[in-house]
Amino acid sequence: MLSKLKSLRIWLLLWVCLGVLGAVLLARAALLDLRTAFETDARIIHRLLSQRGVQHDAILATLALLQPERDSREQRLSSLYSQILDVAQREPGSHWPDAALEKAESTSHQLGRPVVADVDWLRGRYRMVLAATPASHALTIDLRSSVPWNDWPVSAATSPMRVALVLDGQQFVLQPGQSRSGGWRFDFRKHLAAESQPFEVVAERQVGWSELPWVSIFLWLSLLAVALAGLRSVLKQRDERRRAQELLRLGQVARLNTLGELAAGLAHELNQPLTAVLASTQAARRLLDDDEPDLATARTAMQQAAEQSRRASDVLGRLRRTVERPDLSGNQQQLDLRAVIRGVLYLLEPECQKRLVIPVQEIPADLPAICADPVALEQILHNLLMNALQALEQVPPRERRLTLRVCQEQARWILRIEDSGPGIAPDVLPRLFEPFFTTRNNGLGLGLGLSETLAMSMGARIVAENISPRGARFSLILPDEKAPS
Amino acid sequence: MTRLLSPLIHLIDDDEAVRTSLALLIGTVGLRVECWADPQNFIAQFDRQSIGAIVLDVRMPGISGLTVLETLMAQQVDQPVILLTGHGTVDMCRRAFKAGAAEFLEKPVNDELLLETLQQAVRQHVRLRERSEASREARERYLQLSEREREVLGLIVAGLTNKEIGRALGLSPRTVETHRAHLFAKLEVESLAQLIRQFAELTESPAG
Repeated sequence: MLSKLKSLRIWLLLWVCLGVLGAVLLARAALLDLRTAFETDARIIHRLLSQRGVQHDAILATLALLQPERDSREQRLSSLYSQILDVAQREPGSHWPDAALEKAESTSHQLGRPVVADVDWLRGRYRMVLAATPASHALTIDLRSSVPWNDWPVSAATSPMRVALVLDGQQFVLQPGQSRSGGWRFDFRKHLAAESQPFEVVAERQVGWSELPWVSIFLWLSLLAVALAGLRSVLKQRDERRRAQELLRLGQVARLNTLGELAAGLAHELNQPLTAVLASTQAARRLLDDDEPDLATARTAMQQAAEQSRRASDVLGRLRRTVERPDLSGNQQQLDLRAVIRGVLYLLEPECQKRLVIPVQEIPADLPAICADPVALEQILHNLLMNALQALEQVPPRERRLTLRVCQEQARWILRIEDSGPGIAPDVLPRLFEPFFTTRNNGLGLGLGLSETLAMSMGARIVAENISPRGARFSLILPDEKAPS
Repeated sequence: MTRLLSPLIHLIDDDEAVRTSLALLIGTVGLRVECWADPQNFIAQFDRQSIGAIVLDVRMPGISGLTVLETLMAQQVDQPVILLTGHGTVDMCRRAFKAGAAEFLEKPVNDELLLETLQQAVRQHVRLRERSEASREARERYLQLSEREREVLGLIVAGLTNKEIGRALGLSPRTVETHRAHLFAKLEVESLAQLIRQFAELTESPAG
């Protein structure tokens, strides 16, 4: 129980470790994807805004160069560039209406390029000035309108990305994004590529826990759990099968040991009276052979012999009562012979494989149910098949054939097991079913005898014969069901 | 073989039927049998001086026949021991002979084999006792010799002539001759061959 729990705990631990590892890898991959997408979008935004800045520089430069009339420039420019709200001009000799523009113009004059005069953060506007002769020009630009929304890489309303323009610590938000708490934060900061408008593009993106690939992670954890559970059950099954085999082997050894003990005890129990019988009768014979026979002693000896014979017979009677088998004929039932054969062959599969034997079955399709004791039938089949397999060991693997045949002769079903082994020696044939008769070195000589006893108990019998060109055939002749025996 | 007492066979087996029937059988050839049911009693009480043999069952409750055999050997019992067993394995047989068993028989035992084995064991025991008796007498006579006579005896056994013995011991051949006559008389031997057969061993290991 403890070891089982322990092993379950180990499997759970394994699942947690592998699960976390996989989840982290999945999350990292997802975050990396999100970051790459964010940076691509941010770079596109920066490029688009920079292009507008450069465009504004170019408009001012064109105005300075062409010095157009007041009406045409205002209408034309505003209709072409929606972000340009107003175009102002300072005629030579006149002054700008406010000081900011004055100051910007002087700076522009010094630097020789347009300069931002001031920013109206509330309304999102800024003014820029380019000093020129004869007249200098100033543009009022709306920040929001200067965004090329058609080319914008994200949807301004729904995108989780916040985009703002920052100058001197103040900012104008182009796109609010969605703010989330916790998680991971991506950001991107870069000045516009137009020197005259030193706005910094600040893009931010907050990735929340909810954006992690939870579905994939869940799938991964489930798949992993299923895989580990499968692996565990396979291992467990293998373990159990091995244990079952071990138990079976142990059981066989235990049975053999019991049998050995029984035989040794029986031998001793019988040996004592037999010794006494032999000694007594021999003593009696010697006494009677004397010239003057001591008849009284001889008689005592013969009496002794008789008593000891009875003692031996009692030992056997006691043994028989101890190991007496219940009558098997009571357990007879209707059976599918095919299923019984299949079951026994399944049990013997390892033995067949070990000897490179593939059993051939020739069983009629219309086999009716037969009446037999299932345990006895299985035992008989098992013994006969094991015998055949062991006989096949004596011929080269290529010549090994094992055939199971079911046929009918005069209302009796017959199960034949044929092997291509060396066959049965003529002197062995009559003693084949004797208990403790064996031709194998480590055989007990009980298999065939037991099979015959079992067969007889259910009204069947076993016939052994040799077949040509070589091999042995054991036939289990089942009883005629119409004529009860 | 002294006819004073016929040889005595000690039979140890825990099974009464086996004991009585074997005793009956052994009795038919004129051997006396003493039966013991308990090996411990047997070890404690049996007559060690008797001429005969011991028949011992291997499988007995409490103490195994092999252990009994080992105990007897350790106590330098000189009666030959014949082991009887129900099922003798090669290993058990080997152990029995190694422990000093004279014979190892399987039960049920054939009468001729058993009786022949017993008679042979008895003959062997009688010979053993006679031989030890003879060597005891020889030792007593040997002890009567003087120092010089023992030296001369040693050299005679070594195969030296009187002349050579005289030279080796610094004696005249005549003196050697006298010693030789004395020791022949004391040891009660008549020929050189008899002298060597009975006393060669004693001269090699002059034990007191």
